[in-house]
Amino acid sequence: MKKLFEQSLNMNNGCLEKRKKEGSKSSKSGSKSDDFAVAIAKVAAAQVCESVGFQGFHLSALETLSDITVRYIFSIGKSANFSANLAGRVEANLFDIIHGLEELGSGLGFAGASDVDRCVVNSGIVRDIIHFVGGADFIPFAYDVPRFPVVKELKEIGSFQEKGEDPPGEHIPSWLPAFPVPETYATRSSVENEMMSVSTGKKTESELASVGRKMERSLLNLQLRFANNENEGGSLHGVGYSGRAREDFEGNPYLAAPLHSGEKEVEVSPVVLPAKLSNEASLRNPVPGNVIVGNHVSVLETFASAIDAMKSGLCDSDNGTKKLLSTQRPALRFKIGIGKKSFGTVPDFNSQDFWRQKQA
Amino acid sequence: MNHNPQSSDGKHDDDSALSDFLASLMDYTPTIPDELVEHYLSKSGFQSPDVRLIKLVAVATQKFVAEVASDALMHCKARQAAVVKDKRDKQQKDKRLILTMDDLSKSLREYGVNVKHQEYFADSPSTGIDPASREE
Repeated sequence: MKKLFEQSLNMNNGCLEKRKKEGSKSSKSGSKSDDFAVAIAKVAAAQVCESVGFQGFHLSALETLSDITVRYIFSIGKSANFSANLAGRVEANLFDIIHGLEELGSGLGFAGASDVDRCVVNSGIVRDIIHFVGGADFIPFAYDVPRFPVVKELKEIGSFQEKGEDPPGEHIPSWLPAFPVPETYATRSSVENEMMSVSTGKKTESELASVGRKMERSLLNLQLRFANNENEGGSLHGVGYSGRAREDFEGNPYLAAPLHSGEKEVEVSPVVLPAKLSNEASLRNPVPGNVIVGNHVSVLETFASAIDAMKSGLCDSDNGTKKLLSTQRPALRFKIGIGKKSFGTVPDFNSQDFWRQKQA
Repeated sequence: MNHNPQSSDGKHDDDSALSDFLASLMDYTPTIPDELVEHYLSKSGFQSPDVRLIKLVAVATQKFVAEVASDALMHCKARQAAVVKDKRDKQQKDKRLILTMDDLSKSLREYGVNVKHQEYFADSPSTGIDPASREE
């Protein structure tokens, strides 16, 4: 049964079905933001089934049951909120919930439903629930569920006034947020121009390789600048960006430094949860699957090796970079592309064939 | 009203029973996690600072799902008993109780939820037709 639980947590089947039926289903059931909650509902429904006495289930039946569970919770909340608003309140209380439960249970009926002047407190629904709680032994949920959805704190850029800058041009008032640092978009545009020229001419592997290296270099320059800003205590430009950059770099595995052969290999994807989550969940058992709770790594540490490599590589010729890169393990293959069109993959610098072709 | 003093005593008992129940609810851990319930309640617009209400909704939901599942279990066992009457050999093999869409839809119909599951999926309109009529 545990294997079935874990299977239901892996959203492979569910995602495929959703992609196929995306046109026909409503937006609520096809939304990607709800996948986590639906998976938890599936596990919960399966556990309840097991406590009742089932030994297995069909996946379609479990999906239907979990969907109904979710709709049940949703309709209780909706009717309770409605009762509260009807009474002129924003927050619902116990009586609103009991009203909602009575509405849902009125189809099947409960004891005392036909009484005209009954009190909500005395309702049969509540007695049934008390009876149920007294009789059933509750099995706790199989996994530790973090609080979701996680709200990421937005780091504000700050206005011109706050930064102490003069806005470029009289038409821009000073209370508007400041412009982004030009380096974030300037170097990229120069690389883009080069890539456009590459696309018009004949595409050779060496040209793609040079473009790839330039992009890496510009990225690393950017990171160096952020690291320096961090060290200095941050210019006003850097403060806003280093925080966000740190979050981005920590969250984005493609920008992390390549692992050396001696380093410890992480089996699951290195996605780091935000601070709130890691503090809570680190105390309990971790959720099995593709989530790890890690420590926050500073930007410098992450890029120390890559920065050193690029610093020495910048001075050398192509042969130098070739030697340096061949000793390190490549992190990932990534596609360089602008918009929809992709220019193909960056060639593998470590492959023997590639360098044989270059030398030839 | 005449029955007022009596019912007021009854109401106090009910009140105390309910408040005791709510207090004891915090000791239970319902199978349906609180975070899931809170997520969907907040999605529906329900606002409450009280944690016990969320536990109450979780318990009520669990009760509902348990009832549906037990009805489906009854249907499943009834079907197995009907089959066993024909052959005694199947008694050994069919001990596994599996939740199927068939049993689930039967039990949900009593709760006012109409679930119809497709019998099969065909990849072309002519699937399953006799070969003679297919040529036409």
